Amino acid sequence: MSTFFDVAHYDGQKAVKRKVEVQVVGPQFYLLENERCTGPFAFADVAYVTKQGEADVYGLTGHDGWRLILSGPVPSDLKGLLPAPRRYGGWVDRLGIGKAVIAFALTSAAAVAVVLFSPQWLAPLIPDSVDDRLGDALVGDFGGRFCHTPAGDAALQKLVASLDDAPQDLRVEVANIDMLNAVALPGGNVILFDGLLKQARSPDEVAGVLAHEIGHVRERHVMQALLRQMGLAVVLGGVDGNKGAMVNNLLAMSYSRNAEAEADAHSMQALGSANILPVGTASFFDRLAQLDGSEGAVKDNIGITSYLSSHPLSASRKDAFEKSIVKGKNYKPALTPSEWTELKTMCAQDRKAKSGFGFDFN
Amino acid sequence: MNNEQLQTHSAFRFHGSWQEFARIAFPNLLLTIVTLGIYRFWATTREREYLWGKTDFIDERLEWTGRGMELFIGFIMVFLLIGLPFIVIQLVSQGLIFQGLPVLAGLLTFAMFLSLFYLTGLAYFRALRYRLSRTYWRGIRGGSDDPGFQYGLSYMWKTVLGWLPLFLMVPWAMISLWNDRWNAMSFGPHRFSANAQWTPLMKRYLLFYLVPFLIFVGAVIFGMSMAASGGTPDALGGTGMAVGGVLAIVAVLAFYIMLPLAALLFYSKYFRMAVGGLRLHTLEFEFRARAVDWVLFFLANMAIIICTLGIGYIFMPYRNWKFFVEHMEAYGEINIDELTQSQTVVEKHGEGLLDAFDVGAI
Repeated sequence: MSTFFDVAHYDGQKAVKRKVEVQVVGPQFYLLENERCTGPFAFADVAYVTKQGEADVYGLTGHDGWRLILSGPVPSDLKGLLPAPRRYGGWVDRLGIGKAVIAFALTSAAAVAVVLFSPQWLAPLIPDSVDDRLGDALVGDFGGRFCHTPAGDAALQKLVASLDDAPQDLRVEVANIDMLNAVALPGGNVILFDGLLKQARSPDEVAGVLAHEIGHVRERHVMQALLRQMGLAVVLGGVDGNKGAMVNNLLAMSYSRNAEAEADAHSMQALGSANILPVGTASFFDRLAQLDGSEGAVKDNIGITSYLSSHPLSASRKDAFEKSIVKGKNYKPALTPSEWTELKTMCAQDRKAKSGFGFDFN
Repeated sequence: MNNEQLQTHSAFRFHGSWQEFARIAFPNLLLTIVTLGIYRFWATTREREYLWGKTDFIDERLEWTGRGMELFIGFIMVFLLIGLPFIVIQLVSQGLIFQGLPVLAGLLTFAMFLSLFYLTGLAYFRALRYRLSRTYWRGIRGGSDDPGFQYGLSYMWKTVLGWLPLFLMVPWAMISLWNDRWNAMSFGPHRFSANAQWTPLMKRYLLFYLVPFLIFVGAVIFGMSMAASGGTPDALGGTGMAVGGVLAIVAVLAFYIMLPLAALLFYSKYFRMAVGGLRLHTLEFEFRARAVDWVLFFLANMAIIICTLGIGYIFMPYRNWKFFVEHMEAYGEINIDELTQSQTVVEKHGEGLLDAFDVGAI
């Protein structure tokens, strides 16, 4: 049995439009034009191409530009043999748009959740050797900016040993850079900037900050942050540049807040077991709070700023550190006055250490 | 037979409506959001299918046969081959700075910049080639056998040469690169030829170039004539200040209005010259939008985006295409029997590069 339909046709060889009859013979068809007959073609090779105005356009696999153009409603006999029109794309058409939207939204949420939470589990699985090599590559000798004097090194070593049980896998250095900051980097690297030492009024204050950074190392925050950033970059890679970067930063930031709180907890514990009074660290954060003006925010109970800054509010950290003081405990200074002086002036004494961020070409 | 004489008007016609486009654009937006941006490749494809399918050239619709998957694969390829290596290079060069090797870091960054520059040119070329190879008319498509590697180099040296004499040769670079690009393209068996002239552009370019200077001179002359007619210094005291303030505002407004206007004035001429220099076998092309059309077009776009609080942004592809088609014109005749299928290669992936660098095709 065979059926005939009138359609427009391009053979893909020439731009001549032909009016042809489709003669259906089982799973195949022929195209008849006056005396000419082409085919047979298999319906299995027919692919939906596009909608052109009101017409549905079909192509033939392996024949560039070959077209059947069916205007208006397709006869139902033929419709069953031709592939279904494509609207949104394969998966969406198969599911229907409503279900597809829900499925995509859930998948996206799951992907973001995996990227945000998995670094916590993945970071400890990264071998130490990788961590160390990354740290060496990043830090090296810091362009000769690390300060060393025998007495200063000894004081720093004593401080580190009092705050950590395994100081041998840490590498704590003082960098000759006038910034009020300290950083933890891969491979157990902790860098205290000279500006922080100059600003600190007691060794207890430095001990609190150092213990905080050691907390980052011990909790593997650095590797977590790296993994999370990389994951977010991949997951949000499909979003246009700026928007993606903004969402990425917001998500990464809210998580580094958690990390900061954990590092603070580690710091308080380390100070406690080293018998160092946390009040110094508290007052240091108090002074930082005055610098960044977050004190007012806490009084007014406006918590919004704390979501947008990567560090917990300095003022609330101060409270936490003050509350960790145990009454009647026998606290002692983190360093003797002479050790403290040696540490504080180490960069001033070390003439060989380069200073600042200057990219000197020598 | 089939020698079709073209009328002197409306060889290109657009039949779309924004209501129909909205039924594509809004689901696209929704799907793009829930897939974290990944759907945008399929979204672009759907929009193009609609816009092409609603566009008549002479007596037949255009047909867009590009697929979302191609664009997606192109994007992934760019991400793996260019994005990731560049992230690694950035990390390495940061590490080099830390380690005190800023010269090496600088060289690495410079090499990265150079290759990005090269790839931008390549992306322009590839995008045009991709779009022509996916555009069918009467079952015949366009394309190019040139991979565009040479064009990438031309893009670099011509752009730099355009900048060198205080940016005065930019119009030459733009036109020359347009010609290079289109001379490598073909449709069916016919090669495009592009012979656009750049010298007629110089008057408008100089106007744009001199606007900041002219505004400054105008303000000074105006100020001096005011001062001259103002009489005694006492009288100038209060009113002089007011006049000065008004002048400053006028100058700033003039800068923000005149400069974009001058830029549009130049660009409208550029596009008219560029399209006007284009030939395909016996066909000649013309772009009929004058500067005032461009200004109205941009003002309307801005109004739509502002009045819809930004949502109107999703209609911009529709508006751009409509503006383009409605001002395009072609003259000459086509021998349909001669118009045979293009033998150019068809890449399996889309304009990923272009997508990554966020540049437009034509």
